[in-house]
Amino acid sequence: MTDPRAAVRGPLRGTGGLAVGLAVAAVLVAAGPFILDTYLVNILVRAFLYALVAMTVDILWGYTGILTFGQAAFFGIGAYAAALVFTHLGFTPATIGLALTLSLAAPAVAGLVVGWLSFYPGSTPLYASVVSLAFPIVVTQVIFSGGTFTGSSSGLVGYPVFDLSVEAWFWIVGAVLVAAAGLGYVFVHSEMARTLIAIRDNEARCSYLGIDAPRLKILLTAALAAVAGLAGFGYANYSGVVAPEIAGFVFGTVLVIYVALGGRATLVGPLIGTILIDTLSAYLSGDLPYVWQLVVGLVFIVVIVALPNGFAPLIARAWRRLAPRRRHGDRPAVRIVRAESATAVPPSATLEIVGVAKSFGSLKVLEDIHLSIVDGELVSLVGPNGAGKTTLMRCISDGRERSGGLVRVNGTDIAGLPPHRVVGLGLGRKFQTAGIFESLTVAECLRMARLSAQAPSFLHPIDAVTLPEAARAVVETTGLADALALAAKALSHGQKQALELAMVLALEPRIVLLDEPTAGLTKAERTRIGGILTELAARHRLAVILVEHDLDFVREISSRVVVLHQGRIVLDGTVDEVVGSELVRTIYAGAGHG
Amino acid sequence: MSLALDVATTAGMLFVVAMGLLVVFGVLKIINFAHGAFLTLGAYAGLVTTGLALSPWLSWPLAFLVGAVAGLLVERLIVRPLYARPLDAILATWGLGIVISQIITLVFGREVQFAASPLTGTVAILGETYSAYRLALLAVAVVLGLAFSGLIEGTRLGLSARAVIMNEDLARGLGIDTSRVRLLTFVIGCGLAALAGALITPLSSVDPNMGVPWLINAFMLVMVAGSSFASLALAALILGGAQVVVSSYLSPILGGMTIVVMAALVLRLRPAGFGRD
Repeated sequence: MTDPRAAVRGPLRGTGGLAVGLAVAAVLVAAGPFILDTYLVNILVRAFLYALVAMTVDILWGYTGILTFGQAAFFGIGAYAAALVFTHLGFTPATIGLALTLSLAAPAVAGLVVGWLSFYPGSTPLYASVVSLAFPIVVTQVIFSGGTFTGSSSGLVGYPVFDLSVEAWFWIVGAVLVAAAGLGYVFVHSEMARTLIAIRDNEARCSYLGIDAPRLKILLTAALAAVAGLAGFGYANYSGVVAPEIAGFVFGTVLVIYVALGGRATLVGPLIGTILIDTLSAYLSGDLPYVWQLVVGLVFIVVIVALPNGFAPLIARAWRRLAPRRRHGDRPAVRIVRAESATAVPPSATLEIVGVAKSFGSLKVLEDIHLSIVDGELVSLVGPNGAGKTTLMRCISDGRERSGGLVRVNGTDIAGLPPHRVVGLGLGRKFQTAGIFESLTVAECLRMARLSAQAPSFLHPIDAVTLPEAARAVVETTGLADALALAAKALSHGQKQALELAMVLALEPRIVLLDEPTAGLTKAERTRIGGILTELAARHRLAVILVEHDLDFVREISSRVVVLHQGRIVLDGTVDEVVGSELVRTIYAGAGHG
Repeated sequence: MSLALDVATTAGMLFVVAMGLLVVFGVLKIINFAHGAFLTLGAYAGLVTTGLALSPWLSWPLAFLVGAVAGLLVERLIVRPLYARPLDAILATWGLGIVISQIITLVFGREVQFAASPLTGTVAILGETYSAYRLALLAVAVVLGLAFSGLIEGTRLGLSARAVIMNEDLARGLGIDTSRVRLLTFVIGCGLAALAGALITPLSSVDPNMGVPWLINAFMLVMVAGSSFASLALAALILGGAQVVVSSYLSPILGGMTIVVMAALVLRLRPAGFGRD
């Protein structure tokens, strides 16, 4: 473990369970048609196709936190693309190629549009759900209005398709599903999937780590739309009929129900859940049509209210009790690797704030702020509550926040840049309440801060984190180094603050904004953080801006103090000048109004 | 002229249908996806009134009562644990919608049925002969809108509800029984949904799944309106008006998706919708 070269980065490391699972699934698929009756085989082929779509719903909803009713529409677009080609252009090798291409490309393009509509900086999860609901309605209405071209409400039927037996379909679709499940398994354990979970947990923190979350979600939507389209291609060929319902939002909700019952964010749960429930539905809805749906509805409510993770975790727990084995075997240990610093002498850092103002309506929160900070300085920003300190931090780190004036980060005007772009200019921001990722481990949180330095892999799990010296110093001196495999949410308050600081420093920023980094910390932790901060300015030549209430702490570590009062800078000078000032005493005594 | 009347009465219908959803979303910040099912319940209350040969006017209070009682049970059993999980609340109430419509199917059958109308015939207005019931519905929408905005703005419950919207912890600290406010709000929302069902049945047929398209349109309008009755009225007028215009001049099929598409675009361009930021 000490030699970085010794650890082979392989997708199959620690995935012995996957190999066994795939082998079992492959045997089941191969044997299926010999054991099961034709009716069941027939039902299962369709269930396999639905399961493929359910997998995409799980990645979007379970892992990324996007509740979507729209995957049915992508499935429908893929199915209709194939059915339309075969109906109107005939069935030749060329049209088959065209149909397959369209079944993938049309949903992907639609996915880009839906994604662009749904995700932008500041978009809400509810809005994404609104769009995912609107989209299938639009698609079905378009199909309805297509007249004889799309078959309108009765759909398309009787177009030529592959002349294959049900058994052959079972093997083909089964093999595709097993392969997709294997790829899906590798994906959901990859660095990229951890990134999606990080976005689910705390999108704001992600953007301040330089991650372009909306872009990632748009691309994910498009890619998964293509997967759903592929399932649709299979459906159109297998069933020989397409109807508007398969693109509708009701089918979209059915997919979400399958995923919820199987167990969101488990991948395997939704696969098994879909196959089981869809098959059962096929049998039971004939005999007890309404009662069966009633039961599904009731179970769904109970699962959402009482078992938000579905049945998969319950079964997994029971299995573990029956077959106990090593507990931490599935999470590989993560190493900290020393980042090579590019240059011996760090580049200079400058932050220029010229006439910045911020107002909400007629309320002026900041007015005429001029401030200029260079590397090596540790500037404390003090002032009573409501003076505008946090607002100023926001105006420096998000180009869209201020109402007037200019902010230049390392020479570049941040104009209307969103946070992830400002971070790219060499600025890091630590929030007042520690922004960490609750579902990730400490090491994974740290890795999230290094994504711009090293792009996330789609195949490899997180097994090493490269940290620059400053971040490593924080990790080592605060005891986080021994807690790398621990869930971040299990950390103490002080450790969470330290973790977020380490994440910010892992960005290798030249300018750091820290909003009350010592709030709620013990005296010892406070001293340790103070030491780290002075070190950052003095040795690493960072420009550090600190919002702080504790004037003693400010006195100990600052090289300069700026006093903000009622939205204006009233003092800007050395520690002695400011601390000794009569004005500061008046302001803090609360007599400074008027 | 008849187009103007169509726009006004359609907006009135949409407003009535979306009111209950707005009340629930405005105060509780959750989307009641069983709203369509409550509407269907109200419609069947109207059908039962017809079946018992009672006065069709009675269907209105009866529907409100049925919706309110069902809402009481649902808030206690299903919605209460989900206030902190708004996306899950959407799903659980959607599941509830499935359950309600299956129960209705089991009791009343799945076929399309018709309820009696309290008002029939036409009246002459602005040089047109126009459906009397549609006009009455518009009047009811205006009265209900004024009554409930008065309730929110002028009564103690309304004040408590607004306090809960703004800062629940503070409201609780001030001695407001927030869980009772939530319960009452949800009950009123469900009652209004069912009332809307009874109100619209004379203009449409009744079947167990009739609520779904109404739910979608109401949901979109509420998303655009935020939490105020005035902006809901504006949203119903503009989006509903667009729907009528598109249906009359382009195609009814495009009209069917006008509200949905416009709502999504309005929210994309202006996340606060028609409400204030």
